[in-house]
Order: sequence, then structure tokens, then C-alpha cells
Amino acid sequence: MRRLALLLAATVAYMLAAWAVAPGFYDGFTPVQPYNWVCPPFHVANNQAPSPGHLDVKVIGGSSDPNSAFTEDGQVVVGFLPGALDSTGKTVISVDITPVSPCPSHKGLTFVTNVYHITADAPLVGKTINCANHTGVGACVVMAYSDTVPAPSDMYYSASPNGPWQSIGGGDAQPFTFAAATDKFGYFAAGYPEGAVTSRSRSGASQLLPIAVAILIVGVLVAGIPLAVMNRRRGARRAHDDADEDEDDEGEDST
Amino acid sequence: MSLVLSRRPILRAAVIGGYVLVAEWARVLISTAPNAAAPALLLGGLALALTAFTFAPERLGLGRSRLALRILGGCALGAILLLPAAARSSAVPLIPAGLAAAAVVVSMGEEIAFRGALYAALEDAGGAPLAIVGSTALWTAGHALSHPPEFLLAVAAAGLLLALWRWACRDLVAPILGHVIADLAL
Repeated sequence: MRRLALLLAATVAYMLAAWAVAPGFYDGFTPVQPYNWVCPPFHVANNQAPSPGHLDVKVIGGSSDPNSAFTEDGQVVVGFLPGALDSTGKTVISVDITPVSPCPSHKGLTFVTNVYHITADAPLVGKTINCANHTGVGACVVMAYSDTVPAPSDMYYSASPNGPWQSIGGGDAQPFTFAAATDKFGYFAAGYPEGAVTSRSRSGASQLLPIAVAILIVGVLVAGIPLAVMNRRRGARRAHDDADEDEDDEGEDST
Repeated sequence: MSLVLSRRPILRAAVIGGYVLVAEWARVLISTAPNAAAPALLLGGLALALTAFTFAPERLGLGRSRLALRILGGCALGAILLLPAAARSSAVPLIPAGLAAAAVVVSMGEEIAFRGALYAALEDAGGAPLAIVGSTALWTAGHALSHPPEFLLAVAAAGLLLALWRWACRDLVAPILGHVIADLAL
């Protein structure tokens, strides 16, 4: 009885501790950092504004240094190889990443990230780069995306905030990040054509969890009752057999 | 070496605890390298599962008696672990399909290491209270590199629940199954 009480107390303690943090029990495989949206989807609560980023790339011996520019919240990283930027007449090249607000229009496309404006005071020279296992030219743009929306199929580029948008391809990098090479600076976002079915529809999948937990609970209750009854019967039968043996032993002793 | 350790339960518990912590932290650090997440989970899980060789299966809680009840207990633990997340499903991160197999291996490895071998070693060294508290403390420390600090209380509470089950039912099958279910979802 004491064991059961301790287990129940631990269950209550876990529920309280897990409720204090979202999502609760979490083993560190997926990003726990929520995505910071300029225009959050309707189901996102407690959204925080996304951060900009800035990098000064040094020019050493006439060649720009290898480096990465990233936003303070880590949602966008732009990687440069040595000599990736045209450093003619410069000692430092300034790179800026800015989330675009208000959200630009993107007819026919669904974006699963913010739109970011990436600028530098020197152009890219078209150096070959390996970006998420794809060979491209220029710089590698890596964008994190929310785990509560479908995965993107492409990264999109535009010279102006309201389009026209063109796909620059790309692929999955780390979990929940999408990467593509670009040979010019401008506006970037990851997404997919409107109406397309992506390979991992997370918004639909997220509905599976409550259903799965409900099935587990019903399964435990439905299977648990006959198992408990069988267990009790087995225990009673064993106690009965033991009592019979004791009676037999007493009978033998008395004779 | 094994003879020396079996005669000195405190030393054995310290060696197993140190090994488990190093394996867990190394897994987390390696997984931050590009494209290393799944291999690190797989290798880390296998490294943790190696601790199964330190005790007989029955001492680890892996006996086969009342298997149906153990499996049912695992489903119940999985439901309890996931209930807070299921209650607010809009904020739930779901594990990518590519990581699912690796997550199964690492959750089995963690249970065998923390609630199996480490629990048994600590129980030999100082009884059930030390086994429950010690395995929970090391489980929490093992997750210190992979989780933000505010998550560690929930991690510790989950560890305590699983360790108490291990003590109350002398069973590791249910904690393994519950942990696998929870890891496959999150």
C-alpha cells in the first residue's frame, strides 16, 4: 500500500513539474526553443519577436575571411567560405540579417519561416560551396523552422519584399533547419507551394498525440481489469492451495 | 577487475555512475556536430546498454514473470509521461521520423543504464533509498547538457517516477516501454 501511495505521489509530482514547462517530458531530440514569428500562426501563444543579426567579415590579404553571420535567436545562419565576398578596396565587409516586418505577401506560396532580408556591403563572388550536402555557389543560408508547422520543400528568394519569389532549392540540414546556397543577397524564406502536401505534416501529426495518449489510457484500463481479476484469482487459488496443504500437514501430524 | 568491483559495491556503483554520466554527456556533445544527431543517439544508446552486462537480467529488473502486467505498466507510464504534452498539443514538438529508431535505442539504453545497472549497483551499496535518490540524481545530471535548466525539474520528476516503479514492482520492462513511448512522441 505504501508503494502504491509513493507511486501516486510521484505521478502527481511529475504532472506538476511537467506542467510548469512546455511540452513536459522531453528527451532533447527536437528543438525546445519555440520559433520566434513576425506573424505567428493562430495556434502559437506567447510569441516573441525574432532577432536581427550582424557580422563584420575581416578582409585579410585581399580575401574575405571565412565566417558565419547569424541572428541572435539562431533562426538564420549565413555561412561564408574564404574569399566568398568581393573584397575589392575593403578591409571589413558588413553583413546584416533582418526579419522583415510587416509580413510580405507571397501569393501561391506558404512560408513556414519569417522572411529575412540579408544584406552585405560587398557582393558574393560565386565561389563553390557545399550547403546541406548540395553543391552550390555563393553563401549557405540555413533557416530554422517551427516544429509546429509542415516542413518546407524549398527556400525562396526575392529581390524585393513582395516578390516575385523564386525557388533556390535546398534541403534539410539539422532537424528543423533548411539550407540552400545563394549567389546573391536579398529576401529569403523557406516554404512550399500553396496546397502542396509536404512529407511531414506536423500540424496534422500534432493532433495524433492526444489520440495516442487516450488510446493508451483506454488500453490500460480495458486490459488492466481482466488482468487484475486473473491475478487476484491466481493469488486466491494459491492461498487456498497453501491452506489445504497446511490442513493436510496438521492431519498427518495428529496421526 | 570485476571480482574487485563485485566485492566493493560502493566502488562498483561509482564506476558505473561515472561511466553512465560520461556516455550520456559524450552523446549529447557529439550530437551537436553536423549530421551527427542520429549516429550519436545510436552509439550513445548502445554504449549505455553495455551496462546490462554488469548484472544478471533478474537483478536489472528484466525477469519474464507477469510480462503482460509489465507491458501494461509500460503503457500506463508512457501515458503519464505524455499527458502534460498531450493536454497542450498545439505546442508539442514531434520527433523527426529519421530519429525515431535512434530514439528507441537511446531510451532503452538510458533505462538499462540508470534504472537497471546503476539502480542495482546503488541498491547493493546502500539499499533502495540510495538507489532511488542516486539514480534520479545522476539521471538529472546526465540530462544537464541536453536540456535547458528550467526543464531539469520535470526530468528529475520523471526519473523519480520511473525509479519508484523499478523499486515498487522490481521491474524494468515497464520503465523501458514507457520511456520508448514518450521518446517516440517527443
